[in-house]
Parts: sequence; structure tokens; C-alpha cells
Amino acid sequence: MDPLSSFLPDIQADEALIGLSENHPPQTYWALVRKQFRKNRIAVWSLRLIGILLFIALFADFLANEKPIVCKYQGHVYFPIAKGYLVDAGMAKWPADLLNADWQKLNYEWSVFPPVPYLPQNLDHENEHGVSPFGLQKVKSKRWTHWMGTDELGRDILSGMLHGTRIALTVGLVSMSLALFIGLILGALAGYYGDERLQISRTRLYLSILFGLIGIFYGFGSRSFDLHDALADSFIHFLFQLIFSLFIFLVFLALGNILVPLFRRSSFLNKKIKIPVDMLVSRLIEIMLSVPTLFLIISVAAIVTRPSVFIVMVIIGLTGWTGIARFIRAELLRIRSLEYMEAANALGFSEFRILFRHAIPNALSPVLIALAFGIAGAILTESLLSFLGIGVPAESITWGSMLAMARQTPGAWWVALFPGFAIFLTVTVYNLIGEGLTDALDPRQRK
Amino acid sequence: MLSYIVKRILVFIPTLLAVSLITFVISVNAPGDPVEQMLNKNGGGDGQASDKLATEKVYRETRQIYGLDLPLFYFDITNATCPDTLYKIADETTRNTLERLSNQYGHWDDAAVYYTKLRSLEFLLLRSKATGINADLLTQAKTNVESLYGLYKTEDILHAFQKLSSLTALATESESFSEAFRELKDAYLRMQLHGNGMNKYIPVLHWHGTNNQYHRWFSHFITGDFGISYQDKRPVSSLIKDAWPWTAGISLFSVFLAYLISIPLGVHSAVNKGALSERISTTFLFMLYSLPSFWVATLCVIFLCGGDWLNIFPGPGAEPIPHDASIGYTLVQTGWRLVLPLLCWTYGSLAFISRQMRGAVLNEINQDYIRTARAKGLSENKVIWKHALRNSLLPIITLFAGVFPLAISGSIVLEHIFNIPGMGELTYEALFSKNYPVIFAVLMITAFLTLFGNLVADILYVVADPRISYEENKR
Repeated sequence: MDPLSSFLPDIQADEALIGLSENHPPQTYWALVRKQFRKNRIAVWSLRLIGILLFIALFADFLANEKPIVCKYQGHVYFPIAKGYLVDAGMAKWPADLLNADWQKLNYEWSVFPPVPYLPQNLDHENEHGVSPFGLQKVKSKRWTHWMGTDELGRDILSGMLHGTRIALTVGLVSMSLALFIGLILGALAGYYGDERLQISRTRLYLSILFGLIGIFYGFGSRSFDLHDALADSFIHFLFQLIFSLFIFLVFLALGNILVPLFRRSSFLNKKIKIPVDMLVSRLIEIMLSVPTLFLIISVAAIVTRPSVFIVMVIIGLTGWTGIARFIRAELLRIRSLEYMEAANALGFSEFRILFRHAIPNALSPVLIALAFGIAGAILTESLLSFLGIGVPAESITWGSMLAMARQTPGAWWVALFPGFAIFLTVTVYNLIGEGLTDALDPRQRK
Repeated sequence: MLSYIVKRILVFIPTLLAVSLITFVISVNAPGDPVEQMLNKNGGGDGQASDKLATEKVYRETRQIYGLDLPLFYFDITNATCPDTLYKIADETTRNTLERLSNQYGHWDDAAVYYTKLRSLEFLLLRSKATGINADLLTQAKTNVESLYGLYKTEDILHAFQKLSSLTALATESESFSEAFRELKDAYLRMQLHGNGMNKYIPVLHWHGTNNQYHRWFSHFITGDFGISYQDKRPVSSLIKDAWPWTAGISLFSVFLAYLISIPLGVHSAVNKGALSERISTTFLFMLYSLPSFWVATLCVIFLCGGDWLNIFPGPGAEPIPHDASIGYTLVQTGWRLVLPLLCWTYGSLAFISRQMRGAVLNEINQDYIRTARAKGLSENKVIWKHALRNSLLPIITLFAGVFPLAISGSIVLEHIFNIPGMGELTYEALFSKNYPVIFAVLMITAFLTLFGNLVADILYVVADPRISYEENKR
């Protein structure tokens, strides 16, 4: 058992006491938070709704697709959608007669189509110029109805809605994971070390700076053309080259630190100096907050030669970490003065272990709040950008870009209503969860 | 107090510098050649030598006027293959190619010789007169030579050489051509043989002094000179001068409205916490807060501005108000047109401020001093509006900081939807025509306003709450 369990932070100790006094088995902190969260019915329903959205995002291909789910064609049974995944992965090939087939017009012996038999990019030329869901639609049977109408080019709105869920949720997930990574590290360092506690010898500082600069030169400066070419080639390739560059940088940094003992003799170089981590991080946060984020994203998105949703996600993540960092910093400022930290020090644990095993896990709960609101903000930003047509490829179909189509079809309320409502719903749901978490984590609200 | 303000302003300066650096880095990396965009240069591949020289001269001069021939920053650290004078080459593609060649083979001198030979070959071709069947061959030779300016991979260059030599065999009469071509090939081979792969691993620091693009851009920016718009060559500052009254007017009015409504609303819902009316209004405000303004705006345009539905307000495509209309008519019409934009502008911040206000008042209502005020027999109205409100206003003051930048950035999408010629629409158009000076000027101004707003809010905070002192406050 962890020797620290007897020095739990006071919240946990309190909760344990409360639990015992009522003749219940002792409750953990998270069990209490969960219980408190469950009391908020709206938040619980929001969480369920996110489950549904996740389901739609995962199975969008099976809910809306031009291909049948299962079909029998010329004596063979096919699973075209599932097979499509294999073909994309290079693990299978279409038979020659199906390679460029128009899936909707083949003569199947029998077939099971998805509930929405269209892909978002399919153009239904029979129903161009925006056909209302209640209007007269020229379709073969009720099976092929456009339940939410079509847009100017004859694309099915419902199909776009289903597939757009995938992009919206991915944007929230990817950008906030990046923000969490940056915010967690910077906030934790600032809160844990403060301005006084990180002390390193002059030798180590100077050598780290010197070798860090050399590492940047060899990792990024000398390889700038490799990185540049890789970015033009493909994102995966670029990521690979970037990791290689980072590796070179880290090798140099490590080399600098290995050399430190060589200078042990000099008393001047051996003197410890304080690194004001908190001040540095706080200043960085201040700078980030003064940069008008939306404008920054727009400017960066405007200069990217090949627009992609992925780049938008990365920019949102790179600018959106300040909230998380502030929460973590404030929590760690509190935690580091608790007794169990002292105990950890007394037990001789390494700083690294104390920080990552014992301090950060106890500071995570308020981060959830920042994450929920952050995801809502990221989804809103992305849909705004696609609405304006900035930074997102013109052919990609997202809720925002569908909403923008409403401006091209006068009077087409269905093109505006449904995608906009999807954005509204998703953003609201995440905000409601954020609210619920704020209440659940607030000790004053507990009874 | 004064020392605090001075301290804040001192912090303000490095932050502004950092923001300006971010903006500058983005602007430098913007794709496309600004000079070409300003000149609207269109090809010139078939032109004569004198034409080409003249175009290049104009190009060079434009570059000089806008300071684009200067080094980027005060210093740069490159590897030993990169010359410190590379920025003097005017054409961007050529510059990139030469940089890559010299990076590949390790010697700038050799790359420079190759460049000179390439140029002399090109001018030879431009000067020679096309006769009869040779005209076609000459054009082909010209395109091949021109393509060499953009090639740096060995196989690509050799391929172009091969094509050229097959053409030379046909264009026999020109003795000087084969001579120049041989020299070019020699220069290329020498560059390859002479190559030194290690040179790119030697770092070199170049010092350029204050005569650089960043220094020029930033010092001009401070004095209010934001550069020249690529589109109509008007100064960006005059474009902004035309646009900002719309944005500033609407934003300030909407902020005023939001505060006017949300403060009583927030107080009311905090005092009546738990009542049915309060629960409904709180839920409603939460919905409003999450409603994307661009969706509401689009729906307003569809449902309220003509079309198949109600025709209450003039839509974004409505005819402009005639210039000779009476002042009263103009005012009423403009006001009528601004109703919907104002609504969409306001409701978000209204909901946000009300929610903050409610939280702040709820926080204060449980404090001891409120109980004291009640105990000494003050009327409930006095307790709430005089005692609780004053302390609850503090968080509301902080929100005011966000108002300045919101005034500009929040407007892009709404101005676009409602077709209002303000800062947002200016930026939007600049984005699509890649009119970078406008984009970066707006980015800088917004950042500046954000910083300024934070400063004002911090100072107001101290003024409003005597308990807060920044003098010895060091955690």
C-alpha cells in the first residue's frame, strides 16, 4: 500500500469522516463528486446526450451512407460499408464490377440500406436548389425521402448532420487534449515550484541554455527544409520528422546536463539560483490572454496554404490552454502546503514522483470544469470558422459550412435551422456539464 | 496606487512586444509575394529582354519603397551555407531555390555563380530574335530556362538540362547559346563536385542592426502608419478610419444595453432564488448564453427580413439610403436597420453578465455585513441595492476589460451576415483577398485594445475596492 495513504489531503479525510459518522462505508472523493453530480438531473441528461452524440459520431458511416450495409449482388453477399474501411486501409480490393459502381442504382437481389441512404457529399440532381422537408420531393419511394430537405446543390441535410457530428466531437476532443497537455504541465510547474522552490546550479542553467540553443539549431535549424518538405507531403510524415527533430533537441539537452559534474570545482558556477517558474508562466498566460484568440486563429488559418480541419484543431489547442493552466496552478498552490506533501518529502521521494504521482492527481478535478467549457468553446470556434469558410477546406461538410449554405438559398429555413440547432445543442450540453461539475465540485454545496 | 499603475504599464510594454512579434512572425510567413500582389504582375514570360529588365526594375523599386528588401530582424542565426545577403534577391521563388541549392551543396559562392550563369542564359534567349520555325523552339527553351529558377532537386535540374540540350541541337545557328548553356552546366557541376555537406552544421550569427523589416514595421505601427492595402493601395489607417465608427458605435451601444438590462436582472434573480420566475429566467439566460450568435443572425435574416416569411426589417441586401434623403429619414432608416444586428450583438453578453451578476450577488447576500444591515433595520431595497450591489459590481468591472477586444473580434461574423461596413467586414474581405497588411493591423490593434482593457479593469478594480491593494501583495 502507498505509504502516503495516511496523509490524504484534508478534503478526503473529511469526506471519510462524514461517511463513517453516518454509518456508511467510507466514501472516496470521486464517489462523492459523482453522487453530487447525479443530483443535477439536467447535467446527467446532458451526459447521456453526449453518449448519443458519440454513438452517432462513431457509426455515422452506418447511419448515413450511399452504400448498403448488407446486400446480395450477383450471387455474392457483400458488406460494402465495412469492406470500404478495409479497402481504405489497403487490406482489400473492390471487385472490378463494383470499383466505380453507382451503389444506389445497382440491381441487388436484396439489400439493407442505412436509415439515411445518402452521403453528405452526394448531389441529388432531382432535388436541387433546396427542397423543403415538407415540400414535394422527387424520390423513388418514401425510403429515399430527404427528411431534413436538401441544400442548394441537392445534398441531403440529415446526412450532413450525422457526419458533421464526427467533426464537431473530434474538434473538441483533439484541441482540448492538446490544451490539457500544455496547460497541465505549465500550470503544474508554476503552482508546484512557485517562484522560490526551483533551484538549480548556475552550471546546469547555463549549460542547459547553451545546449538547448544548439539542440534547436541542429534539430530544427539545420533540418528546416526536411520539415518543410514533410509538411507539404503529408501530416503524418511531418509528425514523424517533428518527433525526430525533438529527439535531436532532447539529446543535446541531455548532453548538456551530463557535462554538469565537470564544473563542480568552481564555487561561482556551483551556486544555486532560483528560477521564478510561476512568474514566467503567469506572464506567458497574460500574453496569451491579450492575444485576441479568434483573430489569431483566423490570421493563422488564412496563411495556411492547404487548409485542413486538423490545423484548426491544433491552433485552437495551442491557444486554449490558459484556463486549464490557471486552474491547475491555483490547485497546486493549495496542495503543496498540505501535510502529505511534507510527508512525501520526508519519505525521500523524488520531486518528479511527488509532482506526478501525488500532487497532480489531486488537482485534476477543477480541470474537468475547464475542459467541459473548453470543448464547448472549441466546437463553437470551429463552426464559426467553417461558417466563414476560413481555414477549413471548401469541400468539407461541417455544421458550420452547412449553416453557411443557408445564405445561398433564400428562404431555406431548413438549411439554417437544423445544423445551427446541432451546434447549439452540442455547445449547450457541454456547458451544462461544466455547470454541473462546478456545482458538484464545490464543497459549499454539499450536504 | 500610482506606483501600481506605473508597474502595470511597465508590464504592458513587454507583453505588447511579444504580441507584435507573434503578429510579425505570422505576417512574414503569409504565402504569396506582397510586391507581386501590389503590382498585379502577370507573367511576362514571352516578353523581350528590355521588358523583363524594366519589370524587374519596377519590382525592385517597389520592394525598396516598402522596405521589403531589408533583412527581417535585428539578427539571424543560420548555418554557414546561408549568405547574409540572400534577402537582396528580389524574386521569392529564386530566393528559395538558391537557399536550398546552397544548403544542399554547402557553398553560397558556387550557388551564386550558378545563378549568374542562369541569368545570362535567360537574357541571351530573351535578346535573340525568333525566326520562322525557331520561334517555337525558342519559346520552349525560354520556359525550360525559366523553370530552372524554381528547381533544386538534382534529377529535376538534370531533366531540364536534357530537354535544353535536345533543343540546342536543333537551334544550331546560335553559337553563343551553346556556349552559355555549357557554362551553366559547368557551374552546376562545379557546385556539385565542390559540395561540402558539413557546412550546414556550422552555425553563423548575422547582425543586421536597426535597419530591418520588423523595426520598420513596429516603429511605423506605433506612429499610426499601418502600411498600404494591397487592394486599392490606400493606407490601411484610412480604411480603418472609415470602418471603425460602425463597429465601435454598435459595440458600445450594445455593451451599454447589456449592462443596463443585466444588472437589475441578475440582482432580481439572485434575490428571488428558487422562485419559479427565477428558475425560468435563469434557464432562459443559460440557453441564450449558449446560442451561437451567427445562427441567430442567420435565422433572423431568413425569418424576419422578407423572403417567404415576415418582412419586418430591411435585409442585408436592402437598397442603400439615398444621399439626398432628409436627416430624419436617414436616422430612422439607419436605426431600423441596426435593430437586428444590435439584438444579436447584445443577447450573448447580456446573458453572460446576468449570470455573473447573479453569482456575485448570491455570494454577497450570505455575508455578515448584510445581516448587520438587515439587523439595524434597513429596508430590504436599501440592503440589496446599496450594500450588496456595490460589492457585487467588482466581478462585473473585470468583465468590462473584455469589452474592448470583443467590440472588434465579435463583429466579424455578424457584420458579414448583416452586411455592415465595419472592422469585421473589412477583415473578412481582407482575408479572402489575402490583403495581409489589413489583417495584421487589425490583429495588432485588437491585441493592443485587449491589453489596454486589462489595464483599465485592473485600475478600476483598485479604485472600486479599497480592500484590494497591490502594494505588498506577493503571495
